[in-house]
Amino acid sequence: MLEGLVSPENLSLSYADMSVPERLKWLQQHQQQEVLSLSSNDSPDLLQILQFHGSNNDELLQSTFSHFQMVGSGFGTNYNMGFGHSHEAMDGCISRTSSCQIHPPDTMGVMLKNSEENRAISLKNKRKSEVKTREEEKTEKKIKVEAETESNISNKEASSDTSKETSKGASQIQKLDYIHVRARRGEATDRHSLAERARREKISKKMKYLQDLVPGCNTVTGKAGVLDEIINYVQSLQRQVEFLSMKLAVINPELELGVEDLSVKQFQAAYFTNFPVVIASKPSVMVDVPLFPLDQQGSLNLSVSNPNQTSIDAPSESWETQSQSLFASVLR
Amino acid sequence: MERQIINKKKRVFSVEPNKIPPSEVFTRKYTSLLVPALKKLNMNKNSSQVNQLTVKHEVDMALALSAQEFAWSRFLLQKLSSSNNPTTTTSSSSNGIRIQERSGKEGGHEDGEREEKLRELQKLLPGGEEMNVEEMLGEIGNYIKCLELQTIALKSIVQDTT
Repeated sequence: MLEGLVSPENLSLSYADMSVPERLKWLQQHQQQEVLSLSSNDSPDLLQILQFHGSNNDELLQSTFSHFQMVGSGFGTNYNMGFGHSHEAMDGCISRTSSCQIHPPDTMGVMLKNSEENRAISLKNKRKSEVKTREEEKTEKKIKVEAETESNISNKEASSDTSKETSKGASQIQKLDYIHVRARRGEATDRHSLAERARREKISKKMKYLQDLVPGCNTVTGKAGVLDEIINYVQSLQRQVEFLSMKLAVINPELELGVEDLSVKQFQAAYFTNFPVVIASKPSVMVDVPLFPLDQQGSLNLSVSNPNQTSIDAPSESWETQSQSLFASVLR
Repeated sequence: MERQIINKKKRVFSVEPNKIPPSEVFTRKYTSLLVPALKKLNMNKNSSQVNQLTVKHEVDMALALSAQEFAWSRFLLQKLSSSNNPTTTTSSSSNGIRIQERSGKEGGHEDGEREEKLRELQKLLPGGEEMNVEEMLGEIGNYIKCLELQTIALKSIVQDTT
């Protein structure tokens, strides 16, 4: 009916030009775009539903519904549960930490009715799309709905990809929700993909921890670079140990027992000042002990090795009681 | 009293989520193991016979014994005790379980790189090749920590004697 009104105006691709279903589709496309530009995450099915029926377009709804049905039958009740979750997601919509209970699969009709809640749902769509896209990439399984939505969301994937990282933090926090959400995708081997996702997130968490541990890893981005740094660091540490043990082998005969206690103090210092620390001067380390002249310490060391009581007693007064006891116990 | 100070400081510094040895405990154990072992070496053999390998053996043994709560230390102990030839911590045994990483997010070749690196990392860690990836990544963390502490300990020992 509108076409009759519009045709004389002859506007190119104006809103009025389109027929009703076309217009609705156009609206939907725009809705999808704006929806995907928002950031949130939840069940991916919701996204599909919105893409198809952002407005009350029954025709598209029906087509979607049929597709979902096909998928649902193919993948069992999980899919319906997914819808149940989505429904609840819509209800508890804005909070990201919406709990993920599994609802009985009654929900198709309810979902379709709630299409007017786009605005509320849209908050979650970005995450959904990300989950969706991630899963799409990850799993080779072609869900029929995905095939349908591919054309619609292909242009959205770019935008969603960029926000993957930002939502990753959120997704990790709500890992539990995520797992449930993924189960609801209704993939045939959902257990596997679920476990794999959990595993991947564990691994990335550990990688992050390692990144903090290894100095200089913060600047490198990407797992390969971080792994590289870690490998180099471990290798250098092992080389250092080898080198030091070589040195130790050379000087071994002069080894004495006072070392043990000295080392402890130096470790404290080392940890005050962060690894790697070249342990420069021992006297500076011992906070509680008055400064030792180095040569005196040298003589002290040598004197310890031969059980000469008198030479030790004098400097030992300056040591903490701990070291005194140690020396005493050793010499006896 | 001094111990309290030490313990307080230990509390300040050990905040890692994974199992990280309180540096205090590890270093005490380490030095208390290593130094007597080295002395024993000195006593049992003539100084001329103390070569680098045996020292390395003792070093590794001390490391393994000081960190027994970790998986890699058990592997290291096994290596050390099973073979009379002291194995260095840098020895790489190439047989092992391949890392199974399914191609995922980043695309095929990037994942291959990552696998390669993970495999290398596995080689560095004693017993790393018998672990799966997550376990290994966790163990690498405390292995690095223990290596650092060991380095400090060795440095201080060497420095004390020179």
